[in-house]
Amino acid sequence: MENEKKTDSREWELDAETEYRFELDPGTSLAIKLVQGQAEVFGTELAEGKQYLFGSECKASVFTWQGCVLEISHPSTEYVSEETPMATYANLHIAFEQMRVRALNAVHGSPNSDDDSDANAEPPRVLVLGPENSGKTTVCKILTNYAVRAGQDWSPLLVNVDTSEGGWSCPGAISAAPVHSPLPTCSPANPLGSAATSAPTALSSNALLPLVYWYGHTETKRNPLLLDRLIRNLGDNVREKYDADPEGRASGIIVDTPSSFASSSSSSSSSDHRHTLIKSCVDAFGINVILVVGHEKLNVEMQRTYGSRLSVVKIPKSGGVVELDHSYRERVHNYQLRTYMYGQVIEAPPGISSATLGGETMTDLVLSPSSVVIGFDDLTIYRIGEESMAPSSALPIGGTRILSEMQPVLIDPAQSGSGLLNAVLALLAPLNPNDSERYDEEILDLNVTGFLIITSLDIQSRKMTILAPNQGSFAGRTAVVGSFEWQDQ
Amino acid sequence: MSLYSQNGYGHMSYGGPSYTQTSGYYQPPAAPAPFYHVDPNTFRRDYASRLAELTINSRPIIQSLSMIAQEYTRFSEIVAQCLEAHIRRVPHWMKLPGLYLLDAISKNVFEPYAREFAPYVIPLFLEAYREVDQNTRSKMEEMLLTWRTGGANGKELFGVVPQVTIERGVWGGDSGQADPTSGFYSGSGQISKSQVLSELEFTLGQKERALQANPYDNVSQNHLNVLQQLRKLVEAGVSQDELRQILNQLRSFSQSTAPPPLAPAPTSTPASTSPSYNGSLYPRPYPPPASYSNQGPPPGFPVPTDRPSYLQQPKTEQVNITSLLPSSQLASSSPSAPVHSAAPISNITNLYNALLKAGVVSASATPTGAGETAKVDESKPEPVDLAKTTSREYRRTILSQKVKLSSAGITKTRPELIHFLYDRLPVQCKQCGIRFADNSVGKKEMQDHLDMHFRQNRKASQNTGRGHSRSWFIGVDDWIHDVSVDVKGKGRTDGHRPLNAKAAAAAMIAKRDAELRALYVVVPPGDEAKPVSCPICKETIKSEFLEDDEDWVWKNATKKDDRIYHATCHAEAVASTNNLLAARLRNELASGSRGGTPEVHSSRSTPPKHGVRSSHSPSPQSKPGGTKRKVENEDASLNAEADGSPPMKKLALES
Repeated sequence: MENEKKTDSREWELDAETEYRFELDPGTSLAIKLVQGQAEVFGTELAEGKQYLFGSECKASVFTWQGCVLEISHPSTEYVSEETPMATYANLHIAFEQMRVRALNAVHGSPNSDDDSDANAEPPRVLVLGPENSGKTTVCKILTNYAVRAGQDWSPLLVNVDTSEGGWSCPGAISAAPVHSPLPTCSPANPLGSAATSAPTALSSNALLPLVYWYGHTETKRNPLLLDRLIRNLGDNVREKYDADPEGRASGIIVDTPSSFASSSSSSSSSDHRHTLIKSCVDAFGINVILVVGHEKLNVEMQRTYGSRLSVVKIPKSGGVVELDHSYRERVHNYQLRTYMYGQVIEAPPGISSATLGGETMTDLVLSPSSVVIGFDDLTIYRIGEESMAPSSALPIGGTRILSEMQPVLIDPAQSGSGLLNAVLALLAPLNPNDSERYDEEILDLNVTGFLIITSLDIQSRKMTILAPNQGSFAGRTAVVGSFEWQDQ
Repeated sequence: MSLYSQNGYGHMSYGGPSYTQTSGYYQPPAAPAPFYHVDPNTFRRDYASRLAELTINSRPIIQSLSMIAQEYTRFSEIVAQCLEAHIRRVPHWMKLPGLYLLDAISKNVFEPYAREFAPYVIPLFLEAYREVDQNTRSKMEEMLLTWRTGGANGKELFGVVPQVTIERGVWGGDSGQADPTSGFYSGSGQISKSQVLSELEFTLGQKERALQANPYDNVSQNHLNVLQQLRKLVEAGVSQDELRQILNQLRSFSQSTAPPPLAPAPTSTPASTSPSYNGSLYPRPYPPPASYSNQGPPPGFPVPTDRPSYLQQPKTEQVNITSLLPSSQLASSSPSAPVHSAAPISNITNLYNALLKAGVVSASATPTGAGETAKVDESKPEPVDLAKTTSREYRRTILSQKVKLSSAGITKTRPELIHFLYDRLPVQCKQCGIRFADNSVGKKEMQDHLDMHFRQNRKASQNTGRGHSRSWFIGVDDWIHDVSVDVKGKGRTDGHRPLNAKAAAAAMIAKRDAELRALYVVVPPGDEAKPVSCPICKETIKSEFLEDDEDWVWKNATKKDDRIYHATCHAEAVASTNNLLAARLRNELASGSRGGTPEVHSSRSTPPKHGVRSSHSPSPQSKPGGTKRKVENEDASLNAEADGSPPMKKLALES
């Protein structure tokens, strides 16, 4: 036992307000144990004496407000930093708490005791903008975690409109889920906690119930019209949810955005769609605070556009953010899809016998998807817009597009080149059973029930094999294909 | 004395209050393997393999093993054999957890386990005792002491003879002389210093916990002081006779403090249903102490039943002691010990007097004790207002912070804010790090939270082999109406269980799903080996042996018109449309897609008529009759080809 323990663990003593940062290489894992003191990973406090596992090339940090001792097993790249923006984030949190408290007081009709009586009583509805690798998602996570840790029964709504990141589902989707308990960090595959499974979980953040819409692509510029529509759909539902629940509304909304919202590309058309999408977020979620993470120009831009009606706040980006390349993001997409189907599996470093993944016993996070053979006609598959769409400017002068970007195009799996093999499909909620309420583009407004992957196509016998998260029948259902593919390696 | 850690009972991490006290020992249950109890052999194999996981002192493992033992008392013999083999086999540093398990099982499920263990407990304990290191020994000694009163009605857990024999083996003492019938306490053999110290330590522990539970209890405080003095004295070294007297005193003393019948402990309730079981397993984590359940409630102030004799006995002894003790020894021992009573106790006579007095006081203090328990009970249902005031207080403090939401305003460092994240909620769950307030509301929440962990762990350990899978995302309506109702105090715990009020919709779905999965169809005799697959999803329907009915059944199955479906598939197929025709068609399409297989299928998946045990599936009787299949199938494909619209939709539209 002694020998096992000694394998490769190391103790780090952190001073107050410093953080231990690590970056994992592919195929490695790391276990962190809080030996003494208090520490948190992106706002989620660690329990003392527990082994926390990290894997799938996770790049994260353990921050301590008051100093702590950590025991690290099998580190990759690691270092301690004294410069963190955490003090700023804590201030932000308090500012948002004040807004929540005021909003709740307004709901209760009780007077606000502070002198700032003319402050409005709206809960924080925060849009987080920033360029690539600025730590937007981390900011969202920390703010959400601090809110749920207040012990005031806040359950802020975390919205992910970052199409290059899956949130709780798959990359290419946008989603929103109320959060009741701190979001654990263990892998980039589920940066915001994980969606519900049939397994019993201790933390509700490992059993989140998101509302999901399928955009289907990484790039926001690929079909901004569609994304705009989906964001507005999500916003409508959020509004409806909060109309029914004024107290829940006080917890506020935190919106994570794709980096393309901040990219200052010179081309005017991409800048246009960027502004349109920011605007649709602001409108859809009733944003009243915009946080700009480490981007001076964007900050000024936002001040000009929105400064008169909402608060635009510039916040520093953490020095710990890692420049991520394209291939890394590809791998993360891969991890995300794998995790969606098979659950979170991280091999513990040798010598670590019982560890927790995001606060859960590891075995409960292993999932078994089901593989089903269905007929081509059982599932109706659409693609939204033409597969490879030339920009309008590339069309011959006077020419008009035959297909609109929003038009659902039926795909016949029997046709070679349908591109369906290995494609990720979003299984949509059932169509409206009442035909009088049907409309042409209904498919665009349906939320996602789950994701499927076509693992083989047998054109001769008109059958396909589908990997589905769980058992069920797909007959008569509708699915939409995007530009994502995944192969079970 | 250094052998005894501060936290003398930390090792009891599987049972009692130590849940909140112990540091590193708590581990989540390791890999709850699928667990079918079919026949004794399977049970033996499974139990042995689970035992093999007990390599560290892990409460969940001990708990789950002990729960299994409780559920399968009919296999008590096997449990006993496995456990013996395990403890004998493992290396010395793994023996303690095994012994703890033995201890837990025999105390929780006294009948029949104590009887099963009794034959081998003596050699087992003593052999283990010889092998282990000093630290473990002291823990074993403490455990041994709890066995004195661990049995039914406060009797010896494994009977008098084993208890005496083990104690002698541990602490020495002359053999053969003890007369079991008269009780071993009066055994007049050689008494070793270590034995007395162990027992002293044990009684001290009891007292300390009592004091922790009730800091204003002067009586316990007094006892504690006296006992500490005694310990110093014994450590310094006293004669054999004195040792015996001290021991006798101690025993009658700790007996009087030990609660009379220890039955109410976890002995009773079976693990499965009653919530009160949870309560007893996590006996009120805060305030910390509340002694280990079988040790009984804080050894407060029960009436010493044997009071008269207790009072008389020491009198004669006092004389002896005074005369026996060299004064120098006394002098050396006393000054260092601060004592509560007015005059410093300067010799052992006084010490004994004090001890005696303490006993007396404790006896007369009974009414107060009773009163206090009553008070505790009264204070329970207060919380609602407290919850309100605390959150009001929180809001006030938050609003009083001067933080401006602007790029400049948020850069200032305000170290005081950290208070909101940590110290304001000082009570922390050791498992997941979530914090709660340090007031009755917070405690209640923490309690609920721990219960939730317990239920979750139990669920995980009862996982019966059916793997988990990702759920479908919920629908818009369910999502919108997942109203987080204002449930102050309950909220946080509910929050951790999304299946509670927070997501009634999802819970409903899960429940319906569970109900469907619980449906089964009895396999007709002789058909056990035949694979049967669901006509909808084409997966083989698993068969399982149902212990209660001693039948092989197809799980998650329902029988409709002589075909066996997965209950879940069937319900879904039916629920996704109200249209009978479409449902039928879908079935047909599904089987049609297999191109030719259906015939084979229908013959195979249609076993002779046999009772469907329960089928509260919400389906109207759909009729996947085999005759018209072809025609419909063609229709459907025609439709689909005609205009490219999904056949289902078309059909639904038309009808």
